[in-house]
Amino acid sequence: MLKTERDEIFEKTGQRREDFSVCMGCKICASVCTLNDIGKNVNPQDLLLSIFLGHIPNDHSIVTYCTSCYRCVESCPWRIKIPEIVRAIRERSKGDLFTRTFKSSIAIFGRAYEPYIFFRILPFLLKKGYLRYLPRWIRYMNFSFPPFLLRR
Amino acid sequence: MDKIHELFLSPFPSEEMMHYAYYPGCSLKGSAKKLDRDLRRVFEILGIKLTEIENWKCCGAFEYGSLKQIREMSKVNLKKAERISFQLIAACPLCCKNLKEANEDKKYSIYHPLEILNVDVLFAKAKRELRGLPFTPYYGCLLLRPKETAIKDPYVMERVIDKFGGSLSGEKIRDRCCGGNRFFVDKELSLELTRTILAKSRGFLVVFCPLCHMVLRTFSERNKVIYFTELLLYLMGEREKL
Ligand code: SF4
Ligand code: SF4
Repeated sequence: MLKTERDEIFEKTGQRREDFSVCMGCKICASVCTLNDIGKNVNPQDLLLSIFLGHIPNDHSIVTYCTSCYRCVESCPWRIKIPEIVRAIRERSKGDLFTRTFKSSIAIFGRAYEPYIFFRILPFLLKKGYLRYLPRWIRYMNFSFPPFLLRR
Repeated sequence: MDKIHELFLSPFPSEEMMHYAYYPGCSLKGSAKKLDRDLRRVFEILGIKLTEIENWKCCGAFEYGSLKQIREMSKVNLKKAERISFQLIAACPLCCKNLKEANEDKKYSIYHPLEILNVDVLFAKAKRELRGLPFTPYYGCLLLRPKETAIKDPYVMERVIDKFGGSLSGEKIRDRCCGGNRFFVDKELSLELTRTILAKSRGFLVVFCPLCHMVLRTFSERNKVIYFTELLLYLMGEREKL
């Protein structure tokens, strides 16, 4: 049972299990991780270890915060793709509102149509205090037609 | 003819090679419309023809499903480009990465605009200087990492600014992450990440990524955030001020 979960994750990363199992625990990834610049105290290697030990770490800080900056990949002697693992794990959950809306925009318009996304996530933006930045966002708000009307 | 060849980093065999299929990507049709417009203008001045891929679809960004699904989405776009050219330009760093990664059998050549820019040609076209102005070129993540899809010359913005006499700073923060990918999920994260970037930058923050632009502009108090294309148009005398 657990094995299938793990295989499912590796499959979603588009890579083989061997591409990850070569990790030798040097923790270079932890020393360069962007998240440690802002004191999140994370170790990307943890993530691999727990997956190999059969536990899918859905609530791991890396899964919550990873910005897919690729710093760990660049420094890892094996170029292990931690951000791909993170995405695969995130993919298993329902996902946050933005990601869900992004996907539904692609399903409807074939593209990320910003006005649609903006209005769908508006309650979230209101609640989390994003709207105080609205004056700075004005210049980003161009009225544009939905992509399927433009045919280009 | 000779002049035309000068426009490129590498000499291309014939004139029709100067025609690129252009993949703008979702941002450049919305929040980064300015980048789209300016980029087209820059290429027009440099004499490089761009034709937008017809009816292109989203590249899937980071958000969409499994890696396989993302590859498929980009492959569809590559296929659509064939009618125009096998040479593509994508301006958004993430679109560019996705397209490059989907190009598994190397059938297409995919470039980021920064890879096509020839500093010497630019010099010939320029009407202004940057003397006395401070700049902080900021590349962010995906233009420089992972190295398989990164731009060829990681110091191209510095070279342009330096050549025109602008003063540079921000060597330490040029490849930092702004958290743009998670901006609409967790803004505190971006706020903390950009704090260092903004503290260590001086003058104009020059970016190329639509998301970096949005995040840095949202949090920047004293630095003006501009696209690199704005700087180019200023140099060429198309804009009055930066
Ligand atoms: S840098 Fe690579 S090999 Fe080293 S611990 Fe991290 S993932 Fe494992
Ligand atoms: S990609 Fe994620 S895990 Fe890797 S260094 Fe960046 S934030 Fe850390």
